[in-house]
Amino acid sequence: MNKLLALVKREFWENKGSIRTTPLVIGGFYILSMLMGVITLSHFDADGYTTRTVVEELGKMSGDMREEVLYQGGLASSVFFTVVMSFVVFFYLLGALYDDRKDRSILFWKSLPASDTLTIASKLLTAMVLIPLTFLAALILTHIVMAIIASITVATADGNPWTLFIADTSPLKVWGMVAVSWFAHSVWALPMYGWLLLVSSFAPRVPLLFATLPPLIFSVLQGWIEFLQSFTLKGNLGSLIKDWFFNTPAILTAEMGDNGAGPALGVPLSGDFDHAVTLGNMLDRLFSLQMLVGLVVAAVFLAGALWFRRRATES
Amino acid sequence: MPSIISAHGLTKRYGRMIAVDNIDLDIPPGRIVGLIGPNGAGKTSALKAILGLATYDGELSVLGKNPSSQRAALMEDVCFIADVAVLPRWIRVHQLIDITEDLHPGFNRERCLEYLAKTKVTTDHKVKQLSKGMVAQLHLALVMAIDAKLLVLDEPTLGLDIIYRKEFYTHLLTDYFDEERTILITTHQVEEVEHILTDLVFIRDGRIALEATMEEVQERYVELMARPDRAAEARQFKPLYERELFGRHIFLYENADREQLKPLGELHTPSVADLFVATMKGGDS
Repeated sequence: MNKLLALVKREFWENKGSIRTTPLVIGGFYILSMLMGVITLSHFDADGYTTRTVVEELGKMSGDMREEVLYQGGLASSVFFTVVMSFVVFFYLLGALYDDRKDRSILFWKSLPASDTLTIASKLLTAMVLIPLTFLAALILTHIVMAIIASITVATADGNPWTLFIADTSPLKVWGMVAVSWFAHSVWALPMYGWLLLVSSFAPRVPLLFATLPPLIFSVLQGWIEFLQSFTLKGNLGSLIKDWFFNTPAILTAEMGDNGAGPALGVPLSGDFDHAVTLGNMLDRLFSLQMLVGLVVAAVFLAGALWFRRRATES
Repeated sequence: MPSIISAHGLTKRYGRMIAVDNIDLDIPPGRIVGLIGPNGAGKTSALKAILGLATYDGELSVLGKNPSSQRAALMEDVCFIADVAVLPRWIRVHQLIDITEDLHPGFNRERCLEYLAKTKVTTDHKVKQLSKGMVAQLHLALVMAIDAKLLVLDEPTLGLDIIYRKEFYTHLLTDYFDEERTILITTHQVEEVEHILTDLVFIRDGRIALEATMEEVQERYVELMARPDRAAEARQFKPLYERELFGRHIFLYENADREQLKPLGELHTPSVADLFVATMKGGDS
């Protein structure tokens, strides 16, 4: 266990830029946008009329209404983090078993008493747990700073930030929901993570091409065969991957509901799953037949990655 | 005492090419063994098999373990320096020390820092900021702070200047080696290791051409620098190899009668380099 943690620590050191700095930059982007908004507003509206109106309107809302708006807004603000995080994980996994083969430092890593299984486990753990955790920390930090800025702004318009919104926010609920959705996404995305590690462990060069070209070519071929058979064949690999991605338990888009638009899980285009943001809907995906098949596929890919990793120093 | 490395019929194939051909090898503890051979002779393939870095056929046991299936466990007692360029370039020295300490039960941080204090390497340096020589010093400091039973060095001083090379082997001998440890070295620079070796293994075309202790080498081989007028006579005693230096003929004999050779010129113990050339070329005829 200690060895596994040591290896995860090593992943953090090597990828500090993408794992630590990137989410902080996104947070900084949110905060900067908010500051720019506040400053622009005060520039054109020196008496603070607009701010006072907003404070008044907020005061008229019911507590429940305020809570709902803040909750939905909190969830929605995680979307940008989620999207960037997917890119970070994608490129992290592509390089995870490739970079040290390329610069030959694999010979050093293999001279340490850590098995190949443990090494691959540390990379998977970094992608599934460590990266979501650092992004979550940055999201929490961003929310706190934004709340402070909002409080100061409201206070300048003689509003009481506590009664106006802080008392009605449930930050733990927002952060908890985002955290659970990200970890659920980690499990949901396992077949893809397995594939990326497999490519990373064997690609002689440019793992990006090895990761994207085979599924692309395969889908095109399938599409062509489908066309020849006049659309009788269903389940093209391309649409399979697309559906899989659209059904992710991560909060990704908005959905029109009974009381207006709200954040949704994945992209609500297919009817396979319910896209409303609830724990039940996330668990629904994780305990589905699709997930079971996905786990089997992931296991095959990971076993392949291990097979190649064992032989990575052959020549 | 049980062997550190014991191989029977060790074979390594790459497709049709046979890199290591049915080798038997037995290395007892407390030796410094030089594994010497020309390029492509199978040295690195043999080392990779010993270190669990490549698959192989035949029987191989290192410290009683099967390197192919028990690499991680084996690495607790084995250290290796592949060549000077394999430390990850992005890592900082203190991180390197941390992770080695976390993964290696036999690592002694104080000892490593002591060795490093004698060099210009600081714990804040990144590996990519260090010169080749400093990286070699760093790797050696890490390895010498690990209480291992077997140290494998594959061209450890490749690309280093003579000062670093000398220092490298001096440290290894004075601060590291003892009767319980075994060191296995491959190198092209035979001259600089020949004084520290206790055993020689010559490898050629995947087979062992010579396996002997240095004492045996001294007993078995003799070099004669023949007087110009007696070269023809010296040739009668079936030398392994003959070469010419400044117009004088030098002959290398195996198991020759020194009393008979003495009148023909001066007798020496051959250098490992000369013995190596003789063994490699002599076998051709």
